[in-house]
Amino acid sequence: MKKEQLKQYWFVIKELTGRELKRKYSRSYLGVLWSVLNPLLSMAVMSAIFSMMFQRSIENFPIYYLTGSIIWSLFTGATNAAMTSLVDNKQLLIKVKLPMQVFTLSRVYTSLANFGYSFVAYVVFLFIFKIPLNWTMLVLIPIVALTLLFATGLSLFLASAYVFFGDIKHLYGILLTLWMYISALFYPVTALSETMQAVVRENPMYCYIAAARECMMYGKLPDAGLWIRMIVWAVVIFTFGQLFFQSKKNNIMQKV
Amino acid sequence: MSTGQNIENTVVQQTEPVISIKNVTMKFKIATGNVSSLKEYIIGRIKKQITHRELVALNDITFDVMKGEVVGIIGTNGSGKSTLLKIVSGALKPTSGTVKVDRNKVQLLTLGTGFDYELTAKENVYLNGAIIGFTKEYIDEKYEDIVKFAELEGFMEEKMKNFSSGMVSRLGFAIATMRETPEILILDEVLSVGDEFFRKKSMERIQQMIHGGSTVLIVSHSISTIQQNCTKAVWIEKGIQRMTGEPKAVCEAYQNMRN
Repeated sequence: MKKEQLKQYWFVIKELTGRELKRKYSRSYLGVLWSVLNPLLSMAVMSAIFSMMFQRSIENFPIYYLTGSIIWSLFTGATNAAMTSLVDNKQLLIKVKLPMQVFTLSRVYTSLANFGYSFVAYVVFLFIFKIPLNWTMLVLIPIVALTLLFATGLSLFLASAYVFFGDIKHLYGILLTLWMYISALFYPVTALSETMQAVVRENPMYCYIAAARECMMYGKLPDAGLWIRMIVWAVVIFTFGQLFFQSKKNNIMQKV
Repeated sequence: MSTGQNIENTVVQQTEPVISIKNVTMKFKIATGNVSSLKEYIIGRIKKQITHRELVALNDITFDVMKGEVVGIIGTNGSGKSTLLKIVSGALKPTSGTVKVDRNKVQLLTLGTGFDYELTAKENVYLNGAIIGFTKEYIDEKYEDIVKFAELEGFMEEKMKNFSSGMVSRLGFAIATMRETPEILILDEVLSVGDEFFRKKSMERIQQMIHGGSTVLIVSHSISTIQQNCTKAVWIEKGIQRMTGEPKAVCEAYQNMRN
């Protein structure tokens, strides 16, 4: 029984994710091919810009940027889409036989699927910039998993809050801009003042991005402090999101 | 209408209730004034202007639905019908009282079908089927039947935005009623719309299901829908259960109140 339920959960998530991906390119001629083409082209543009304009500051600057950027997009893609997951699926909410979270989770999973496509493009650029292959690259898997857990927690919170306050969407957009600038996406963290460095290092998204760079670019494992930060942020935010969602469940159902 | 009589004849021996609603009360806390934005909420909080008042959406509702019965719930808009429906389907937890029902057997059919109009009809069958609890294998198996019932042969690979409203409601009905085993079908206002032909066909299907041991709950504000199809009626007005019993008597009382 338990196993069947899990299987059904997975089926629903796959169906919902398939729908999101099909929708996204449903009007375009090349269709799903855009899922890879889009990150490939935008990465090409960004690499060109970053290797021509800010060359001096960091070695392999395009890869430095792209590594951070795929983790950042995974996070923003998940939370932005998940925020409206309950409101968008109004009609289905009342019919669903599984916990309502399935709609939010499917949006997060959609972002992971998009991450997969971007990753294909990313690997192409790893070759172009001659980044040596290293076994530490495997550590990216747990890092992505922790990023997802963190994103899921925040998504559950945002999705339930959005049911009551539509303007969360705009506020979150502004917050993301600020958040991006303190995540050291396109500058070395050492370029900042001591105090700002301390702030940035406590930023969970910076932790995930920095860890990804360690294992992908420098062939190193993230140090213990980084691991602790990554795990604690992910677990705490996920638990908070889940509890918040549970406590608002009845109100959500009444409101939508 | 002959369909109504047929249903009446099928009331089988009433053993134990399939749905048992006991003293269900649902209260909501709602903010006075319309606080819809975060700004208003924060300002209101600071000024201490937001006060909550209690809205009693349902007050002490009690009735049973026996196996094979067709029960109609009637009441004006905003009387708490849809709240009751959400409670029966398990989406809402009542403030107090109990509802006994096997949630896995409940199939809900509403006007808002939840279709994604950018997708093809086939994709929507799988998406909707998954949501309402069917496995992939089961949908595979029933797919042909669904297409046939909805009379959409040759249209399934088309995007649903090109469908007429009749096609949409046929598909919605076909999906919700794909299972043959006894179940609990909840129809929310669906029988009041659609063309005559579809209504006849869907009534036949419902009858079939009742013969197979299914139970039906019809929610409507239309007197004729309730009178023609139900074996029992419950009238709910402003959250209060006004009357329960013979559809004819209940509908008459409801009509008298409205006049």
